[in-house]
Amino acid sequence: MLLAGLAAAVAAVGVGSIPATAADKSPPDLTGFWSLEAAPHANDPGLIAKLPPNTVVLDDTGITEFPSGDYGGLKPRPEALAAAQKWKPQDEMTLSRVCAAPSVIYAIQGPFPFEIYQTPTLIVFKYEYFDQVRLIFMDGRGHPPADAPHSKVGHSVGHWDGDELVVDTTHLAPATITNNGLDHSANVHMVERYKLGAGGKTLMATQWFEDPEVLDNNGARFIQWEKKEGNYVFPYDCDPSFATQYQQIGAPEGAGK
Amino acid sequence: MLGKLLVAASALFLLGQGTAQAHHSFAAFFDSTKVIKIRGTVTDFHFTNPHGTIGLDVTDAQGKVQKWKAETNAPVVLMRRGWSRTSVKPGDVITIEGWGSRDGKPYLRLRAAFDANGKPIGQPFGQSDG
Repeated sequence: MLLAGLAAAVAAVGVGSIPATAADKSPPDLTGFWSLEAAPHANDPGLIAKLPPNTVVLDDTGITEFPSGDYGGLKPRPEALAAAQKWKPQDEMTLSRVCAAPSVIYAIQGPFPFEIYQTPTLIVFKYEYFDQVRLIFMDGRGHPPADAPHSKVGHSVGHWDGDELVVDTTHLAPATITNNGLDHSANVHMVERYKLGAGGKTLMATQWFEDPEVLDNNGARFIQWEKKEGNYVFPYDCDPSFATQYQQIGAPEGAGK
Repeated sequence: MLGKLLVAASALFLLGQGTAQAHHSFAAFFDSTKVIKIRGTVTDFHFTNPHGTIGLDVTDAQGKVQKWKAETNAPVVLMRRGWSRTSVKPGDVITIEGWGSRDGKPYLRLRAAFDANGKPIGQPFGQSDG
């Protein structure tokens, strides 16, 4: 209902998909269905230049993944590293774990599409991956108190910096950073910066995060999506019986029945 | 009736092909350099996220049947590549090409599948994403 209402509101005001120009002070319209761009592409130098110092840009966006023990240049603190080294892939293949959604620290770079609905005071990101939905408050509010409930999508506030959407996210529940045992804490802080490419058919972003409890440096990713008209996000509806399927591999006939 | 296990072909490099992971890590579970191809009879097909699975009875050269499991990309991804929950049915004889499990189990990650006549089922991964 909320999404339908937002879509209707956006349509009602006739917001187009043309990036703002110097003569048009309204922010760009990011509305649409965005699919991860699988083809090789260069990072956007302008966005990369705005990353804070002591930041490593992870090369695991999209279909790429780090093997066990490779954290892409992130520098885990000793306790976090010890925990990561104890992790085994099979740990995730249980009924209780296999449908545990990652937080948006990891989730937003994956090879799944998302939809954006945009109004002046609220922007909605609706992801296919694990059916996650983020509300980006654009009305000037701040984050809730530090002890407010955390979630896998966190609490996000945004503002426009020229033609770039800057999103600041806190209150993220601990979850994986690199999908191989390295987890962030509940105090991770993420800043994303989105901008449209020429023609408005490409969306680029940097996702930066800091987590001093876990990391001695900061991490970032460059992510790029392409607009695909007429598509929409499918329901994910994760089914944990996948873990049972895995556990039965190589089991004797009739085992587990 | 049942198919036979085809040769594991390490020479089959799939340059430029990726592996759309969902929740669990492809890199941790599968060896991207170990490409194998199996032919057998479908025993079950689960078309659910985070990954679909295809059970396959595969007969080796000695006539022994081994139960294999092929993990697919997330069905939300497969649907955009022409798959549906009826693309594969128990009793179908199919061939699956994919990346083998690191732990040596009869388990692989599906890259491409073909029906009994050699016709592709959906689109192989890497030709159309998202």
